[in-house]
Amino acid sequence: MTYPKLLCLSLFLIFTALVSAQNRYTISGTITDASNGETVFGASVFLEGTTIGAVTNEYGFYSITAVEDEYTLIVSYVGYATSSKKIVLNTNQKIDFEISESSTELDEVLIVAEESERLNIKTPQMSVSKLKVETIKKIPVVLGEVDVIKSIQLLPGVTSGDEVSGGFNVRGGAQDQNLVLLDEAIIYNISHLFGAFSVFNADAIKDVKLYKGGIPARFGGRASSVLDVRQKDGNSKNFELNGGIGLISSRLSAEGPVFSDKGSFLVAGRASYIHLFLQASGAENSANFYDLNLKTNYNINKNNKLYLSGYFGRDEFNFGANFNSGYGNASGNLRWNHIFSDRVFSNLSFIYSDYDYILDFKSFEFDWISEITNYNIKYDVSYFQSNKLQLDFGLNAIYYDFNPGDINPTTETSSINPLLLDQKRAFENGLYASAEYKVSDDLTITAGLRYSYFMRRGGQALTDYENDLPIVYNTILGVYEEGNAIGETAYAKDETIKSFGNLEPRLALAYQLNDNTSIKAGYSRTAQYIHLLSNTLSVTPLDVWTPSGKFIKPQLSDQYAIGYFRNFNNKRYSLEIETYYKTVANRIDYVDGSDLIGQNTIETEILNGEMRAYGLEFLFRKTKGDFQGWLAYTISKAEQRTPGGAAGGPGINNGNWYYAPQDRTHDVSITASYKLNDKWDFGANVIYQTGRPVTYPDGQYSYEGLNIASFSDRNASRLTDYHRLDISATYVPNRKPEKRWKGEWVFGIYNVYNRRNAASISFGQNRETGANEATRTAIFGIVPSVSYNFKF
Amino acid sequence: MKYSIFKILSIVLICASCTDVVDVDVPEAPPRLVVEASIDWEKNTLGNQQSILLSTSTPYFDNLSNNSVTDASVKITNNTSNEEFEFTHQGNGIYGTSSFVPVLNQSYTLEINYQGETYIAEETMTPVVDIDEISQAREGGFDDEALEVDIYFNDPGNEENFYLFRFEEEGDLLPELLAIPDEFTDGNRMKVFFEKEEDEDIGQEEFEPGDIAFIEFYGISKQYFNYIDLLIEQYENAENPFGTVPATLKGNCVNPSNPENYAFGYFRLNEVNRVTYVFQ
Repeated sequence: MTYPKLLCLSLFLIFTALVSAQNRYTISGTITDASNGETVFGASVFLEGTTIGAVTNEYGFYSITAVEDEYTLIVSYVGYATSSKKIVLNTNQKIDFEISESSTELDEVLIVAEESERLNIKTPQMSVSKLKVETIKKIPVVLGEVDVIKSIQLLPGVTSGDEVSGGFNVRGGAQDQNLVLLDEAIIYNISHLFGAFSVFNADAIKDVKLYKGGIPARFGGRASSVLDVRQKDGNSKNFELNGGIGLISSRLSAEGPVFSDKGSFLVAGRASYIHLFLQASGAENSANFYDLNLKTNYNINKNNKLYLSGYFGRDEFNFGANFNSGYGNASGNLRWNHIFSDRVFSNLSFIYSDYDYILDFKSFEFDWISEITNYNIKYDVSYFQSNKLQLDFGLNAIYYDFNPGDINPTTETSSINPLLLDQKRAFENGLYASAEYKVSDDLTITAGLRYSYFMRRGGQALTDYENDLPIVYNTILGVYEEGNAIGETAYAKDETIKSFGNLEPRLALAYQLNDNTSIKAGYSRTAQYIHLLSNTLSVTPLDVWTPSGKFIKPQLSDQYAIGYFRNFNNKRYSLEIETYYKTVANRIDYVDGSDLIGQNTIETEILNGEMRAYGLEFLFRKTKGDFQGWLAYTISKAEQRTPGGAAGGPGINNGNWYYAPQDRTHDVSITASYKLNDKWDFGANVIYQTGRPVTYPDGQYSYEGLNIASFSDRNASRLTDYHRLDISATYVPNRKPEKRWKGEWVFGIYNVYNRRNAASISFGQNRETGANEATRTAIFGIVPSVSYNFKF
Repeated sequence: MKYSIFKILSIVLICASCTDVVDVDVPEAPPRLVVEASIDWEKNTLGNQQSILLSTSTPYFDNLSNNSVTDASVKITNNTSNEEFEFTHQGNGIYGTSSFVPVLNQSYTLEINYQGETYIAEETMTPVVDIDEISQAREGGFDDEALEVDIYFNDPGNEENFYLFRFEEEGDLLPELLAIPDEFTDGNRMKVFFEKEEDEDIGQEEFEPGDIAFIEFYGISKQYFNYIDLLIEQYENAENPFGTVPATLKGNCVNPSNPENYAFGYFRLNEVNRVTYVFQ
């Protein structure tokens, strides 16, 4: 659909909504959890016997407009008792609800679609999965460390990089194509200990929402997905301590009311102590991590609320006397919720985030610091115009500072000269509007449009190349080489080197076939302006983000999806089937033999290509009863093609399509939990994935006395299939109800049958025998764990 | 240096028990000509004795023997004087001459005719500075207690230079190679060390007094640096999950009439310092 047509449709929808609004009143309010005062995101609020309803937003706010009448207002949220209230709607009114965990339905709800119960099949939002932190906590994990990222990998369409990278891939997208937000702040590296754990402390997190497609217009900047992680606000009713003691790390959090009950706070920390064991055992090498989450909020009055949240995390590695390394994220966000009226909700955020790493090469006598920092202002408004129409609009401006590398000698005698790689700057701005319009009782449409505008700012010099070609094909040697530098152009700080503007339409519709069945379809275009370049086998924390500019174009992703959704057997079971097709233009890839480390002119090592991915996803869930769980299956394909283009030559892999590193043909996850009695809970996962595409040698020869491997086409072979079984058991000892101290033991076994899943297979010459060997690296074999969690 | 960075990372992360040797089916490409044409001119010699090694590639897990190329014709031409040097087969794929005339900064062309195909390569004889000092130490290196030999030299300022070191201890099965640019050290006195760490897995021991190390120090062209640096990186990083994704290495031996049928290996010409160091 062309943009003008889309705009016409949006205007038409708004217009028809406006003329039909008459004799209506609005009910609005906030839904909170009765036990701790946390706002509830995604609860359904509706008028009984009608199709009029709403879903609470991230701040627990809802607004419903209906014609004057008497109604029963019902609030429902999976895992919570349904609350209702009779109302006479003859004036605008504010009704706040507190909902409690249901006693009959106390069983953990493993996974809930964003909109619970009867509304969920109606809203056009598709391709979204939400996990409550209670769910995540029940999933067996390695070393007993609750892990958000490993949990979302159990969903259809989501695969893991490998056990050493800790990232995740969504619908054939690369890891840098995921926008990861912690309380709206961009998190650039989601792993601790190089991926063994994630940076999200489950004690500080309320919920996690993953948009695999149909990305709402308020998000932008990444080509594949949005992972929206929200921190808890803190218990506003009682002071509460939570903690856990595990084998390699412990955590403690405190939360409670502050500001004379006008607000609450949360402080949560985690630290590992494996380095202590390592040192005690005489090991020269050690690794550890810690992180801290903070949040507080203050109710100025019923229409204004302030939130302040922050995160700080760090990893540190020590390798004898030779090498130290550290990396970490830091972020902060100050938010102001303002309710203009019972139909207009707004939020203003000031956000900061930063990621840096430091490498200290003692044996080479220098250190290396790299950093990415951004400042972000965001303003979002929701206008609940009528029960048929909701409008969202807002804007967002991000300023980035990139420091790809600052190299300094660390001793007087060092032979290293100081070197500061080009410092890069950029602005990324977005402006969006989106309308959700209920065309009829059966059909709902969401149409949105985002305009993004990116400016690569000056303050640096760029190399000029002969014929404007930073990379050229050497037809004699048949390899890509750096272009001929013919000079440099300096750009002043207030100059814009290059700017890009993109219109990003988003469209989604839901058609309800009957009470339990619906069909949804969506299209979304997203632009990605910053890129993570890596030519290593695994994504490492040392990879460098690069902004678009004179040589690198923004990635443009188009995704089409259609799905079938069905609840059956009185909503005990649900089935979701989705299929998608995604293309990404301007996906860069590195040429064979590229050198990306300390590379000031990355443009000389890359070619511009494209990516395509398609797949079919099934999700079958059981969400009620003592036995709950889900089965997820995805069949998919993800490929890249990188022709030579202006550089000439055939391109990467002779210009043919090749498997993207994240391609997995089959991906199956089964997650189950069983509640035996009040004391014992059991959980299990089964995971099966097709092996990762890799490049294997197809020959060898002798050179300089060494056996040198020659390699086949890029990603033409595959690692062996990945599979494992994990189990866990939770034991809650007898406890007296009057006691405030509540404890539980969690026992787990990761990889029960000790499968040696290859994280990589590498080929080399045995230095003792001189024979060639294939060496498998498998990170986690069978890992038993025990941890003790408490609440006070 | 970059492979050291990743190597260190991998050692930090990957415990020895995480790895094992496995059987893997790998693809098999048809054999290709392999050219090891290393015209090394040792300082203070005439440099007229030179040899070139020709072989073919094999499937990855095959034994590398009986793959010598014995029926090729090989010659090198001085691109300025057009003087030609014929290399004749002397057995086992070795082609030699005793009349080569090396000239610093002179470009040469190698031509090989093999099975009706002609392979051509062009390179320039690259000089190298003298070794300034060679000494041993325990302090420094990867391990402050292990013995190492330190080689010092003065990098010429304001020009791009590239170096190759080849280290071997007497009795070693395989050499160690190190290629370095002066990118970060232009114009400085540079130090390179050769140290061995104890590793029971590969039967490697630290240096002790009386041990003999053979050190070769080459000046190399930028093009050869790009080639050998990648070759070393792929070789050394073979067991490293953070290593760069491997790719087929193309050297400078091209086949103009059938470009797909290029040869592996490289035609290089360089000046070299050769030193034998006995640990005290």
